[in-house]
Amino acid sequence: MKRKYSLIMLALLVILSGSCKKFIIEEPQTALTEEQVFKSLDNIEPLVLGLYTSWRNTKKDRGGFVFTLGTDEAQQGAYQVRTDDRQAGLDRYNGFLTASNTALAEQWNSRWPVISAAAKVIYALSLNTEDPERKNRILGDASFIRAALNFEMSQYWGEIPLIDQAKFAEYGTKRQPLTLVYSNIVSDLENAVKYLPASQTDKRKATRGVALALLGKVYMYAPVSSGVRDFVKARDTFKQIVDAGTYQLVDNYADLWNPAKPNSSESIYEFQFNNVYPDNNQTQWQMGSRSLAEIDQYAYFGGYDLMVPTQYCYKDATAGGLWEAGDVRKSESIRYDFTYKGNIPVLNPAFGGDELDPHVKKYEDIRTDGSLSFWLSGKNIFYLRYSDVLLCYAEALNETGATAQAVDLVNTTVRRRAWNNNLPDDKKWSAAMSQQDFRTAIMDERMRELCFEGWRRMDLIRTGKLVDLVKTRNKWTKESGSVQPFHNRYPIPLQEIKQNDDISEADQNPGYSNN
Amino acid sequence: MAPLLMFLALIQGSQLSAQELVTASGKVTGKDDGMSIPGVSVKVKGATTATSTDPDGKFSFKVPTGAILVFSSLGYGSTERPAAAGMNIVLVATTSELQEVTVVGATIKKGDLTGSVSSVGEKVIKEMPVTNINQAIQGRVAGVLVQSNDPRPGGAVSIKVRGNNSIQYGSNPIYVVDGLVIEEALNTINPDDISSIDILKDASATAIYGSRGANGVVLITTKRAKNGDGKIEYNGWYGVQSFNKNIPYLNAQQIADLRIDAYANKYMDDNPTADRQTYINSLLGTNSVAFSQDELGVYRSGQSYNWLDEITRTAIQQNHTATFSKGGPDGAVYVSFNYTDQMGLLKTSNYKRYGGQINLDQKIKPWLKIGTNTNFSRTEESYIDGGVFGIAANANPLLPINDQITYLSWKGIQSTDLYNPIRSLNIDGKGNLNRLLTNNYVVATLIPGLNVRSSIALDVRNQNYYNYIPKSLGQSLRNSTNGSATQKKESWVNWQWDNSISYDKTIGKNSFSGILSFGLSQNNYNYNQVNASGFATDDFSYKYLGGAYLKDQFQLSSDFVTNSLISYVARFNYSYDNKYFATLTGRYDGSSKFGNGNKWGLFPSLSLAWNVANEDFFKNIKAINVLKIRAGYGIAGNQKIDDFAYRSLYRPVFTNGSVTYVSDGRLGNPNLVWEKQKQLNLGLDIAILNNRLTFNADYFLIHNNDLLMRRTLSTTSGFNNTIANVGSLLNQGFDFNINGVILNGKDLKWNMGANISAYKSKITKLYGNVDAIYNYGGFTGVEIQREGNFFLNQPLNSIYTYKFEKIAQQSDMVRVQGIDYGGRTIRPGDIVPVDVNGDKKIDDADRIVVGKKDPKFYGGFFTDVTYKNLTLNAVFNYSYGGKAISGLYEGLLNGTGEYSGHEDELNRWTPANTESNIPRAYTGSGRYSVGETDYAVQNSSYLRMSALTLAYNFTQDFMKKAKLSNLRVYVTGRNLLTVTKYKGYDPEGGDGYPTSKMFVFGINIGL
Repeated sequence: MKRKYSLIMLALLVILSGSCKKFIIEEPQTALTEEQVFKSLDNIEPLVLGLYTSWRNTKKDRGGFVFTLGTDEAQQGAYQVRTDDRQAGLDRYNGFLTASNTALAEQWNSRWPVISAAAKVIYALSLNTEDPERKNRILGDASFIRAALNFEMSQYWGEIPLIDQAKFAEYGTKRQPLTLVYSNIVSDLENAVKYLPASQTDKRKATRGVALALLGKVYMYAPVSSGVRDFVKARDTFKQIVDAGTYQLVDNYADLWNPAKPNSSESIYEFQFNNVYPDNNQTQWQMGSRSLAEIDQYAYFGGYDLMVPTQYCYKDATAGGLWEAGDVRKSESIRYDFTYKGNIPVLNPAFGGDELDPHVKKYEDIRTDGSLSFWLSGKNIFYLRYSDVLLCYAEALNETGATAQAVDLVNTTVRRRAWNNNLPDDKKWSAAMSQQDFRTAIMDERMRELCFEGWRRMDLIRTGKLVDLVKTRNKWTKESGSVQPFHNRYPIPLQEIKQNDDISEADQNPGYSNN
Repeated sequence: MAPLLMFLALIQGSQLSAQELVTASGKVTGKDDGMSIPGVSVKVKGATTATSTDPDGKFSFKVPTGAILVFSSLGYGSTERPAAAGMNIVLVATTSELQEVTVVGATIKKGDLTGSVSSVGEKVIKEMPVTNINQAIQGRVAGVLVQSNDPRPGGAVSIKVRGNNSIQYGSNPIYVVDGLVIEEALNTINPDDISSIDILKDASATAIYGSRGANGVVLITTKRAKNGDGKIEYNGWYGVQSFNKNIPYLNAQQIADLRIDAYANKYMDDNPTADRQTYINSLLGTNSVAFSQDELGVYRSGQSYNWLDEITRTAIQQNHTATFSKGGPDGAVYVSFNYTDQMGLLKTSNYKRYGGQINLDQKIKPWLKIGTNTNFSRTEESYIDGGVFGIAANANPLLPINDQITYLSWKGIQSTDLYNPIRSLNIDGKGNLNRLLTNNYVVATLIPGLNVRSSIALDVRNQNYYNYIPKSLGQSLRNSTNGSATQKKESWVNWQWDNSISYDKTIGKNSFSGILSFGLSQNNYNYNQVNASGFATDDFSYKYLGGAYLKDQFQLSSDFVTNSLISYVARFNYSYDNKYFATLTGRYDGSSKFGNGNKWGLFPSLSLAWNVANEDFFKNIKAINVLKIRAGYGIAGNQKIDDFAYRSLYRPVFTNGSVTYVSDGRLGNPNLVWEKQKQLNLGLDIAILNNRLTFNADYFLIHNNDLLMRRTLSTTSGFNNTIANVGSLLNQGFDFNINGVILNGKDLKWNMGANISAYKSKITKLYGNVDAIYNYGGFTGVEIQREGNFFLNQPLNSIYTYKFEKIAQQSDMVRVQGIDYGGRTIRPGDIVPVDVNGDKKIDDADRIVVGKKDPKFYGGFFTDVTYKNLTLNAVFNYSYGGKAISGLYEGLLNGTGEYSGHEDELNRWTPANTESNIPRAYTGSGRYSVGETDYAVQNSSYLRMSALTLAYNFTQDFMKKAKLSNLRVYVTGRNLLTVTKYKGYDPEGGDGYPTSKMFVFGINIGL
């Protein structure tokens, strides 16, 4: 009897042990594998949307303004400089601006996964056989994202790795010459122009217009040594945008900063934010005044002084600064008055001392006032606006010999709007302006129009003015006196050198120690 | 050592010289559990004189000189010994139940656990009033490092067997409770229910757990009723706990003086020609840049405020267990109930456990037996917010205690990170856990010696976590949540189905046994969590989520994960004449954690033993009772990595109104394979002088290959990290244990024991051509950390940083000005790092491994002195030669006076105190901070008296009258004494909290 039972049991065991191979196959129940994601357009599309979000997120919070620190328009607040050596190095251009600078490494690290995923999408699409039209649209998205980020990386770091699945064996992850980098950026943007639609209902997505505008910029901003810089091509590209008439300046400069009026006719592309985490941008937390934060955490222009305007940027021309009388952009860009609900804040002597000096105003989000912490500020942030295209177009005209046309363009568009569409004669630029004077004037005009919007460092680098202008206008750079030409590039982060087999210490940008 | 041996020999000699009728006396205990055995028959060989042991296992009667005594008892093998006074008889159990230990899927004889095994019996566990089994074995077992690093009630205790063999995943041993593998939440097991803990340390011992035994196995066997009369027992204790010592913080006036000095130093650096005193006067004036006017008021008043006192308290702990047991020839029943209540040392924190154990076994047919070991428990906890202690301990002593302010401040500047700790006590944090651990078996004996066994084991856990942050708290204001509630519900269902066939056979002097086993196990986990914000009132706490109005801030999350394992095991034992032993084990495991083609691992092991003392040529050597030589070699494995590590995963994320797919940042690695530990163990067991002195020594050599870790990647790969087999580690060392009965008189007995262990690790290989794997972290996640880096040919737990040279003096100024300190300026009184490569530049190349965190050796010792009914027992543990970073101490040497400070600052460098080794006061940046070099790396050696117990066992006479079988009362002091140079809270517990001490009163009653 007992043997019979036991034999049944034994037999059962033998059967079971044979059929158990499947028992140890477990698949994720709540995630897609990489194979699944890249297999179908239905999955690739939300992935690309995710890349737009990741790109947007690089513009958030402290990290979004790292590149604007250490320029002639903005610098760190005194309290920040006093308490964080490494971050202070971004303004001081001293021994803390080295390979181990963590603020820069963070920016470097946050962009590559986006570039790499865009590259994977581009490769996957080349193998995909679904609806060609839809496929090409996604190719436009991915090409644009890769180009925009490669462009940004290369502007600041010079030679960068090119991530291309199809050529991985050849390229690896080593730094590539500028000629190759920029020709890739251009061809990506040409694809984007070709495949992206003229308008998007989903404002997170790029349009043909922004691809074209960026392409124009690339022709202007690319280093001469890349072989891509070409003011004729730039001029023609911008002309194409202007002639198409897709974009118009908004009448009232103030409307650009009104959170109730997002994605206006002037907006070519803006990063979409709101007041709900994780889609807020925390920007005001970095821009506002600590003195206000002391009074009330929900005061909408409070914050912690990461980035404040330089004296040059907030002072009138009569006082050696930037602003001309009657320019409406001054009071829309910069906050001078800190009276809040009748309270005049006092400067705590233990602070850095500049907490009640003029502050950046463009990112104030009135919607948070009284109900939300300024940490939840979440106005959209401009990537490219039409006034930038107009100014770039004017500059390209000037560089190609049409200075008078350039002057007229500035007078009739950007400057006209800056004086409430009624530019006084004494504020009009003279048609007789020389090409060289125009070059100087346009740099100030760009600051007046576009200050704190993220283009300044690139403008300084491409015009070769970084050292001269920053050294005189940025308080901390001036104080340390150590900025040098090699600072036109940032150092390759130490951990990249250590972890990337294709980048060694010898590949560091000149002038920097691997510290 | 020599005097001790002579002393023992002396006692021995005096006993042998007795004449005529002498008194034979002593005590009989069981080998496995060390418990006394009552009712053992003690006869004079060849005569009728006999007695039996009392309920304490003791006997005493007159016998002729030179008589041989025969000890026998049901269920134990008999033994013969020459009569003497104070005999210490150890009987070996023969009935399988007492000698067996349930491993996964099978029961095997304890004696068959060849290889390196350390055991702790019921008697030792009982000695310590603890609620956690790891605490019970702390300092008791060679080669096992037990560290309690969380003084919160119910806090975890970490345990390491033979140092680190895995570097990141599964570096803790697994626990096997009555055959069921559990890896977490050990707190639910009541030490009072445990009859033995066996720690398997080498591959030949852990081989049966091949897939998971790489870092040791802790076998826990719960109690089984003994044959005989039914028994009722009660164990209870009541304790008062308080924090041991705190850091000597600077008080308000000292902080203020430090700050003045710091500001003045900075000012004079920047304005060398200015007048220091004028500046200091301005700091104390109405427009001070260094002080708020309120702070100056406190400074002048001479007061100082201790915020920590506001949130701490003396805590009461209590534990009660009642057990009922009865065993018979056909079955046994053991039932227990337990209640534990621990107040936390921080206000509002609390831990309670209700639990019970049912162990049954019953013969259904002469050839069929069934049984269960089932444990159920519920724990209930109140949490205090994690940041409260640190904020309160480091609060500004110049800031008057105030429960109305939202944030604490320094210099009158509120910090939104410093939530008022008194207000944080209002955060309502609760948790509970329901758990069922059950293992149920049926075993059939087909022919004598051949058993077929099948068991189903379940570990079912349901855990809930609740939290509510009231509206008015800084945590709520800062994030604009208007009150935020969290509910998290987690569920685990782990099951294990094991089947085995075993066979035992003895032919003449040859003994064979073998087991074939097949098992499946699966772990299922799921959770869901809701965070909701916006509450009209705080009154409902976390309980009514439906009332939350900030709908756009709702966050939902959940997940479902399953992983599974298949195991085949074959094990074969052979012994000849109790002299030669061999065990061969093979295990073949498949795990769902690896990709196709890499799921399976083979784990063989072999162990051999030679019991030299049983050889004929050794029979005449009376002084040596045991001499056993062991050798074992085997491979163990580790697969305890994250699920699906072989795949890159993308998950939907809702953002800006639609769903996007986002990578979790981890690169899937299809080439992942099992981590394997090749372990060699050589051991020696010796017992001499009638077993009064025993030694165990083990040497081990472990090659750890294919180490599993999550390493960071260059983000140009598109990912941040990947889990990979990154390298190899060599680990070798020894465990040494000695126990001795020093005095064994009628009234006075003295036992001592000590153990010492050491290990040394070296990384012998890293992936690719790299010679280092760095641990990136910090605020931005990109800084090389001082700990957690791996360097080729260096020990595993290294500290990597700049080397401290000296505190700069005026005479060093010329030299330091020739060196590039990367933006820093060094002035007299500042830290100077060593320019290791002498290139006049302090950069990455000057960072080196400055020390290792592992101790040179560690262990414990104990002493038991019994005089009549009174026993004094002390347990010590120690660790020597390790280094540690104390982030807390480093922070307190910041020298600014703008943050809390350590008393060592009082001796800081000043132009008048240039011999000091404490950097000068300074505010602002631009010099090396204390944490940037190895300046403050600490010596983490310590000696701790972890328990001191005085117990009284009531006399037999008393118990007879009271009709009790056992009555013992005791007082214990835990952690009363620690000797260390470590400057943080505790070299063992780290810097989270100070250690605590406890006074306990307890009672054991048996009926």
